[in-house]
Amino acid sequence: MKFSATKEKLLEGLQQVQNVVSTRTTLPILSNVLLQAKGNEVHLTTTDLDVGVRGSFEANVEKEGATTLPARRLFTIIRELPSSEVQVEVDGKNAASIRSGQSFFKILGLPEEEFPPLPKFDSAKVVTIRQKDLRDGLRKTSYAISTDETRYVLNGLLFSLKENKLTLVATDGRRLAMVDIELEFPRSHEADIIVPTKAVTELQRLLTDDGEVKMSVGSGQIAFDLNNTLLVSKLIEGNYPNYRQVIPTETKERVTLERETFLNSLRRVSLLASDKSNSIKLNFTKNNIDITANTPEVGEAKESLAVAYKGRDFSIAFNPEFFMAPLRNLTEDEVFLDLIDEMSPGVLKIQTPFLYVLMPMRISS
Amino acid sequence: MNDILFVQSDKEPRAIIHLDMDCFYAAIEVRDQPSLKGKPVGVGGARDRRGVLTTCNYEARKFGVRSAMPTFMALQRCPHLIILPTRFDVYRKESAVIREILYRFTPLVEPLSLDEAYLDVTAHPGAPGPLAQVIRGLILRKTKLTASAGIGPNKLVAKIASDLKKPNGQVEVKPEEVPEFMEKLPVRKLWGIGEVTGQKLERLGIATCGDMRRLSRADLLENFGKFGIELYDLCRGIDERPVEPDRERKSLSNEETFSTDLETLSECEEKLPELFEELMADLAQKESTRIITKIFVKLKFHDFTRTTVERAGLAPSLDQFRSLLAEAFARTGKSVRLIGLGVRFANTAQDETQLPLL
Repeated sequence: MKFSATKEKLLEGLQQVQNVVSTRTTLPILSNVLLQAKGNEVHLTTTDLDVGVRGSFEANVEKEGATTLPARRLFTIIRELPSSEVQVEVDGKNAASIRSGQSFFKILGLPEEEFPPLPKFDSAKVVTIRQKDLRDGLRKTSYAISTDETRYVLNGLLFSLKENKLTLVATDGRRLAMVDIELEFPRSHEADIIVPTKAVTELQRLLTDDGEVKMSVGSGQIAFDLNNTLLVSKLIEGNYPNYRQVIPTETKERVTLERETFLNSLRRVSLLASDKSNSIKLNFTKNNIDITANTPEVGEAKESLAVAYKGRDFSIAFNPEFFMAPLRNLTEDEVFLDLIDEMSPGVLKIQTPFLYVLMPMRISS
Repeated sequence: MNDILFVQSDKEPRAIIHLDMDCFYAAIEVRDQPSLKGKPVGVGGARDRRGVLTTCNYEARKFGVRSAMPTFMALQRCPHLIILPTRFDVYRKESAVIREILYRFTPLVEPLSLDEAYLDVTAHPGAPGPLAQVIRGLILRKTKLTASAGIGPNKLVAKIASDLKKPNGQVEVKPEEVPEFMEKLPVRKLWGIGEVTGQKLERLGIATCGDMRRLSRADLLENFGKFGIELYDLCRGIDERPVEPDRERKSLSNEETFSTDLETLSECEEKLPELFEELMADLAQKESTRIITKIFVKLKFHDFTRTTVERAGLAPSLDQFRSLLAEAFARTGKSVRLIGLGVRFANTAQDETQLPLL
């Protein structure tokens, strides 16, 4: 195999696939990237057996062929190369010679045949969605995915395809984020699948604001085909909890909040929330919210916000981090906060189909 | 709770029952899927290549399969082993049914996990042996699951005894029978004696508790430090620990002492996945509803000095533990004798608690 390419194209290609490579693995081949030179392209594939990514970059292929090379090492070498022209030549023993300007590197690879193939999707159900919509939906939900490995069905994002809607749901059992995306697909394609966190993170990296992404759902696995890049992942097996039941159906009080102003206030006040209790309190009075936090033996913080509020006076406490996460990831100027009482979940909404349900914290005093 | 008028008692000797369900998870699975009857069944980590079995039934044990064994190893020993995913919600429900039965006999119930508990029945008018029989019968009738029991004057003896006639059996050790009972007992059956201490004892020519009884307190202290003092009592079947109902765990950890010290960080890292899997399994089984406030890594070095790195606000994940391990290892660079991973829980009686949504 022999090809030359620009440093930029090579780097771009490697960047797309290299995050999947596991840093510590018992199988050395999984640290490697599969390179396949053909036509005027070099295809790159990486996998950790759960998630796999395949991309490509433009190259001047002088001799077609394939090999696998250590992904991280290759990436750091290419990044440091002095010239923008890079030439790669691989001999029959999978040793790659990399030449650029005055530099020469030789790195040893492993044979192509050892590389585990990405799964095939023969009888998959295919749904097409605008990249921008999916990207936006993932941004609004993915931060709420649980990292608690004891609840493994929550270690991923639910993709629920029902009634011409794709509903994305993430929860860690204390808060829940949900987005609906209008989508057309046949009845037979309805499904509830859980995409693991790693695949969601990779997908967010790959999605752009243009074009479409083809989602193929096979048995136990999913593929996302984005024009030039393919991401495949195993699905999390198990039943996602019935999230519909935690979404309050009634609401007593609604306040409209300026997202950024509110976020900034929360951020400042939370500086005085202690590690131990880690709560901030919202005290509602007529046309006003006082946001307060205090840590015994350290101090306290308070900030007042003028809002249109006509309900009863009451206080409710939240984990500030859980409250700020959606505010950071939304882009709307205005958000609506629906509350019932101090022990019931609060709901954050915007004009488009999005929901964030957050349980308050119980405070003794 | 029922009308129990005989709650507390200073009566000596005490009567303690250690009740242990027989391969609880696997037994539930076989009960619910009768077609599995007579086949080797394991429950646990099939969904991941690095999974560990949480438990397995006796048919599987015949092939050398054990609880906490990595799934791939279990499959090597028993290729036709049926591995089922865990259904903790079901196990928890059964456990609640069983606990309800236990509380009919005494409020002094100390659950050790979903499938195991100590009962202090000293104050119960019935004789403890027949009482255990009745409890096991009730459990069988209510849940169609068998339990084994050990009855003794303390937790130590009761726990050792419950293991002797498994499955579906019980052993009573009367107070006056304790010395004879301990005499032939292998020291490895004692709490706290694992691979390393076991080997050390063997080198000293000590195989049974009877052998150990010949060592003085000073001998034991010299060889095993503070633990030696405990060993002095343990090998005599003396254990004063009370049965503590509703004891709230402050932390949960899993540690292993290695037969040869680990010299490098990467050697230590290799041990992590298994320790982690076991900790997670333990956590899911024992404390799945608690809020975790901190995670920690403890290292004990070849010279018996130790260090602990802990951090608040992290969920227990392999990566997080790996970074704590690196930090702990970097503190001294000494070779490592023991690695422990653990989590600390928020006090459930805390003033402020995040309410759960799901």
